[in-house]
Formats: sequence, structure tokens, C-alpha cells
Amino acid sequence: MLELVGQSIASGVAIGCVYGLVGIGFCVIYNGSGIVNFAQGAFVMLGGMLTSVALKTYGIPLPVAAVIAVALVSMVGVVLERVVVRPLWNRQSTMFVMILATLAAQIVIERSTLIAIGDQPRTLPMFTDIPPLRLTGIAISYQFLWILGCSALVIAGLAWFFASTKIGKAMRACSINRDAAALQGIPVSRMLALSFALSAALGGLAGVLVTPTQYTAFNVGIPYAISGFIAAIVGGFGRPLGALLGGILLGVAQALAVVLLGAAFKNVAALSILLLFLFFRPTGLLGTAK
Amino acid sequence: MSSRVSIWHDARRDPALLVLWVLAAALVVYVFITGGYLIAVLQFAAIYVIFVTGLNIFMGYAGQVSFGHNAFAAISGYTSAVLTANHGWEPIAAGALGLSGALACALIVGYPTLRLRGHYLAMATLAIGLIAYEVAVQWGSVTQGYMGISGIPPLGIGGWTVTSDRALLVLLILSAALAVLAAAGIRRSRLGRAFVAISGSEDAARALGIDVAHYKLIAFLISAFYAGVAGSLFVHAVGFVSPEVYGLHMVVLAFTMLYVGGIGTVAGSALGAMVVALLPETIRALSDYQDLAYGAVLIVILIYAPGGLASLSRLWSPKRRTEGA
Amino acid sequence: MNLLRLDGVTRQFGGLIAVDAVSLDVPAEGVTAVIGPNGAGKTTLFNVISGFMAPSAGRVMFAGQHITGLPPEAIAKRGLVRTFQLAQLFENLTVLENVKVGRHLHTTGGLLTALMPFRAAHSETVVEEASLALLRNVGLASQQDMLAGVLPYGQKRLLEIARALAAEPKLLLLDEPAAGLNRDETTRLASLLRQIATSGVAVLLIEHDMSLVMNVADRVAVLDFGKLLAQGTPRDVQLNPDVIAAYLGTALAAHA
Repeated sequence: MLELVGQSIASGVAIGCVYGLVGIGFCVIYNGSGIVNFAQGAFVMLGGMLTSVALKTYGIPLPVAAVIAVALVSMVGVVLERVVVRPLWNRQSTMFVMILATLAAQIVIERSTLIAIGDQPRTLPMFTDIPPLRLTGIAISYQFLWILGCSALVIAGLAWFFASTKIGKAMRACSINRDAAALQGIPVSRMLALSFALSAALGGLAGVLVTPTQYTAFNVGIPYAISGFIAAIVGGFGRPLGALLGGILLGVAQALAVVLLGAAFKNVAALSILLLFLFFRPTGLLGTAK
Repeated sequence: MSSRVSIWHDARRDPALLVLWVLAAALVVYVFITGGYLIAVLQFAAIYVIFVTGLNIFMGYAGQVSFGHNAFAAISGYTSAVLTANHGWEPIAAGALGLSGALACALIVGYPTLRLRGHYLAMATLAIGLIAYEVAVQWGSVTQGYMGISGIPPLGIGGWTVTSDRALLVLLILSAALAVLAAAGIRRSRLGRAFVAISGSEDAARALGIDVAHYKLIAFLISAFYAGVAGSLFVHAVGFVSPEVYGLHMVVLAFTMLYVGGIGTVAGSALGAMVVALLPETIRALSDYQDLAYGAVLIVILIYAPGGLASLSRLWSPKRRTEGA
Repeated sequence: MNLLRLDGVTRQFGGLIAVDAVSLDVPAEGVTAVIGPNGAGKTTLFNVISGFMAPSAGRVMFAGQHITGLPPEAIAKRGLVRTFQLAQLFENLTVLENVKVGRHLHTTGGLLTALMPFRAAHSETVVEEASLALLRNVGLASQQDMLAGVLPYGQKRLLEIARALAAEPKLLLLDEPAAGLNRDETTRLASLLRQIATSGVAVLLIEHDMSLVMNVADRVAVLDFGKLLAQGTPRDVQLNPDVIAAYLGTALAAHA
């Protein structure tokens, strides 16, 4: 029993990192503009989906396929920003209208994928085809290590990006005070597009990482968006590290719920955690950024 | 001036709205006479008029956000379904119990949820809607999960049941009309003014003695009631229920209707529901292109006509826009 | 008889003391003005009095009862109504409806009344007449059906006052009512304020416009860095050396 629980926690941590990556994507856009981008899940779905198409239909080797997919997803993010978000932004629409529009965009992307590719679930092969590590009786597949490793790299990379590069600092400036940033000559609208591109890339990467362990299909987007959002809220909306921790907490809680209460409780567990935090600690574990 | 129902008042001032109302009435009469497939479409539209009108009270009048009202429709609808189909209850009694359940849930959930603002409120209500969906799927012993419940008896009292399509259409249109009139009455009243005041400025409302938290809850409960009524009517009209009926599709559809019509106005909700429901293939099983179309249409409306049909004349004639300046 | 009594009211934000042990009496008649340089803590004081913020220390008493820490709607119910520095109108309601909302405390009727139009008709007529009368008083009766959002700024401020009066306050708190008004509008505001005071409603206002304050106020209190520097008649305050020092001597003396 203990082994089962330990195994669950291990896989919970891995999936939690994926949720965390999605959550970080939410934070990047939110920090740059105050928008909650509900199409985030679509990026995750597209990441895995496009890689699978590139690999299986066009025979492109996995690493290259993954890179191409993430790049394409990033472009989708920019298109979303230009076509849907920017016009609303310019018309100073309310926050709710923006959330609704991004939700509508999620549905458009989802349904377009369904029409283009069909409703069959797709998978990707594991990145390294070696039998899993065994640590005190718990099997840790190398895919999990890939996920953990990539997540750590992403966090470190983002931290460096926002602290040390000119563009990163410009994006932070926009999130702190948009008008002041504009007065400093920072092209705020370009920063917005960039934040969408970055966020989409993060989502796409999450999709690529997770698909070998689970299938992907046109409709996996919304559940990932919700999980990512929960991760961001639990961590403290706006803090990337918080989102990762929140994601891990969520992943582990979900895994434990499944083991101890049954598979039926997987989503209920996640949603209950969301409500718990919203009602009792909306600022999250680490408290909101700024 | 003020005691008169607002629909008539608005329509008198705004020829575009008047035209739409006349068209809607003409359509109903036409469909009633010719019959056929369109009767089912109008039945569907009427049910959604009720749902969207209720949502408009919470979101349009009081300016709040809810992605989860489908939960209340689900609670009431499933209660009606299970009690009438599996336990032989009378539809009215089952519906009453279902509505009570929906209201109780709204009361329990509303209290902590309504303290939230902005996207927190949006996500909390979304979570509630999703939990309802999950329960519908997972609680198989009661809800039969994905398979759903069929063989739900039609509406009726005692021995008399509504079996003809046309009779059901009349009943549903009357219900929708009642729902719309009630909403108009609310808007015109002290209660409705308090709601709209809250959406204008919570601080100013409190400074004038309005207990904002209390009134938000009232708006929430009223809209949950409307959702419950729509939910129960649906199962009796269609004879079948499954989790998909109250899923995200309902949420997106309702918002499309709300915004096509024009959020905040009574006429908007009703007309928006009818217009959107009449788009082709609406009530056929969820087809792939349908949701795509709704998503795209919603985006376009949100960008270019956020005021919806109710603000049509404002879009056409710039002169009207400066009226009163 | 003092209508409003502040007893050592303090409000801190972390290390910043916005209001520092202010003890102030506001009589039940006439116009009392609170003046002071920007950042002196005046609006924070209003927020504490009207229940939008709880004080860090001290007590607020209104009509002999403690109102410290009560929520704004409860305080409004007791007869203390405030307006805001930036006009907070209900933009989606008409001018007339805005004033009707002001009548909320003195009318009844909830969901049941809303659903029965014939029952509502009589009370609605009463509300309408009362509201129209208030609008006529501030000269906005002809704009009754316009959406509040389209009014020019000066008229918005008048509407806000009319709306506040609709609540039949014993004490009316006005936060910079003259801000953004031109000379004409300010003169009309001054006579409106005197008229309100004469009708038996006490007025407490925050203002920067010194000529308005000197013309209209019966008593003046001066705040600086959150502390009460002086309180008394306008003349007394004008001649108070601490006050002169706080204002660098120029502004007050020029309006003597």
C-alpha cells in the first residue's frame, strides 16, 4: 500500500510539473497584461498534437518535431493575441469579455483541430526508451525525469530572462506600470505579443512533455487549462515559482485522491482544491506577486 | 412613466428593437401554423430565453460574472428526470423539489463565492459548473453517467399531459414570456435599481445604505431559480437528459445568446436567445462545426458589437449616440 | 450638541500614519470644512468616519452612538451619507434612477413587490415625485431620463449631491465637491451648500477651494500630516500661526 502511495506521489509530482508549466504560462500573460488567457489549454493540446502529426505523418524525428511544434504553437499564440486580444484591448473591454473571448478562441482552436485531424487520441513515444529507475521500490520512468529536468530548466531560464535580459526587464516593466513603461519607450503592444508567444511556447512544451505519458486529443485543452489555472492560483497568481509549486501540490493531491478515494474523484479533487483556495486563501501559498 | 414595463418603453424609443419584437412574434405565429421541425427549435429557444434572462439578471443587472449557472440547471433538471422517470413522481412536484435543490445549492455556494471579484469569481463559478458536470458523470447509480436518463414523461398535471408539439410550444412560450416580464418588472423596481447600482459602484451603493453582499446573493438566487426552471423544462420537453446537456456547450451557447442580444437589457436576452437558437442545426446533436461557429461568432460580436442587438440603432446612427450630451 | 465626535482616531498603513489621533467635534447644524495640504489624510479620515476603513485606534461617535468599525451601509442607515472624491455615479442608470437609489433607505420592497406591478405602482409614484423634487432643486430635472454617464462633470457632482440628499441624511460628508468645477458652478455649489445647511442637514466637507470654504463654512478644521492643527471659525483658523506655517503663509492670507 505504501508503495502504491509512493508511486502515486511520484507520478503526481511529474504531472504536477506539467500543470506548473501551464500555470506559468498563465502568469506570464497575466503579469504582462492582467488578462487571464483561457486558451492556454489549447496550446498544451497543440504542442502534443502537432509533434505527433510531424512525427507520424511526416516522419520527422522526435526532437526536431518537438521543436517545430513548439515554434508553431508559439505563432498560434501571437495570432491569438493579434486577432482576438488586441482588438478587445484597444476597445478597453472588460476583463470578463476578455476571458470569454479567450474561452471562445479555445473552442475555435479545439474544434478546428477536431475537423482537421479527427477525434482519435494520439500518443508520442517516450523520449528515452530505457526501463524505469527503481528507487526504494518506486518506478521512476525516464519521462518523469525529462519532465522534472525541463521544468527546472524552464524556471531557471525564465528567472534569468526576466532578471537579466533587456527584453525580459521590459516585460516586467510593462506588468508593473504599463503607462510608465510606454513613456520610457518600451513598445508595450509588442511586449504583449511577446508574452503570448512565450506563454504559448510554455504550454506547447508542457504538451510535448506530457503526451508520452498520457494521450492527447482535440479536447484535452480545457482540463489542462483548468489544472494550470489551479496551479497558478494555489501558488499565488503571478508568481512562476509559485505556479510550479502549486502544480506539484495539485498533481500530488489528485494522485492521492485517485489512489485513496477512486478514479471518479480525480477532477472533483482538483476543483475542490481550487474552491478551497479561492474561498480561504485567494492569494495562494506564496502570496501574489508585486 | 416608471411603473410601465421597460420592454414596451424601450421598444417605443428604439425602432430597431420594435422591428425585432414584431419579427419574433410573427415567427412564432408562422411556426405554430406551419409546424414541422421549427417547432422543436422554438421550444429550445424558449427554454434558453428563460435561462439567459436569469443569467442577465445576475450578470447584466448586477454586473457580476458566472460561468457556472449550468450547475443549477443540472441540479433541477436531473432531479426532475430521476424523480419522474424512475420514481413516477408528478412533474410539478419533482420540479419543485429540483428547484429547491438548485436554490439550496446556490445559497450554500453563493455565500463564499460572491465575496470574490473579477477573474476569481469567474473561476470559482466555472469550478462549480464543472463539479456539477463531474457529479452528473460520476454518480452513475443516480444519473446513469454518460448514458443519461431517457423516457422522461412529458409535462402535465394529474391525468392531463402535454403531448402535442404545438401545445408544448405554447406552454414554453408562455413560460418564457412570464420569465421576461418578471425580469422587466424586477429591473423597474427598487430591487432592480439596487442591482444596477451595485454594478455601477459598490462603494456608492453602500454609502447609500445598500447591503451589497445581501443583494448580490439575491441576484444570484433569482438567476439560479431561472436556470433551474429552464433545466427542468428541458428534460420534460426533450424526454432525455445526459451530462452533455448541461456541459460547457450550454455555457458557451448561453453567453453567445447573452451577447448577441445585448447584455443588461431584458429584450436583449430574449431576442438573443431566439436569434441564436434559430441558426441552422442548432438543436441537432452537437455537430463539429456548430461549436466552432459559435466560438467564432462570439469573438466577432465581443469585438465589434459588444452591445448586441439591443444596441443596433446606436451602431447605425451616430446621431443617436450623442443623444443627451 | 455635537452630531459627530471623533475621539483620538488614528489610521495607519504599515509604517505610515495617515490620520494621527484626531479628535474633532462636528455640530448638528451648519457647514464644517476640513482643509489641509494634499496628503494630509483628509480622505482617509472620511473613509474611517463613513465605515470604509476601520481605524487603527480611537472611536467615532455619531448621534451619541458608537459607529466605529461598522460597515458603510449600517452607518448610512443611521443618517451619515458621504460622496466620493471622484464622482461615483451609477452610470448605467438614468439621472432620475440615480436619485431613486438614494431613496433606498426610506423605501421598502424587494422581490415580491417587484413581481407585482400594481402593488408597486403607488410606492413608485411616491419615490418618483420625491426624486424629481430633489432634481429640480439642483437644476437637473430636464435631464432626468439621460444616462448618468453622459452628464458633464459639473452636473455629475450635483447629481451626486442630490442623490445623497435623497437618503435624508442628518450629516452629509462631501469629499471635494468643488473639484473640477468652474467659477460659475462653484458659486452655485456654495449657495446649494448654504441651502442644505439651512434645511437642517449638517455638512462636513473636504475642500481645497479656499474662497468657497471661507464663504460657506461655519467652522473649519485643519489637518496636516494626519494631525489636527486647529479648529474654529474660519477667521480664527486663518489667523492661527501653526496653520499659516503649514500653508507657507500664502494661500490663506491671500483670501483673507
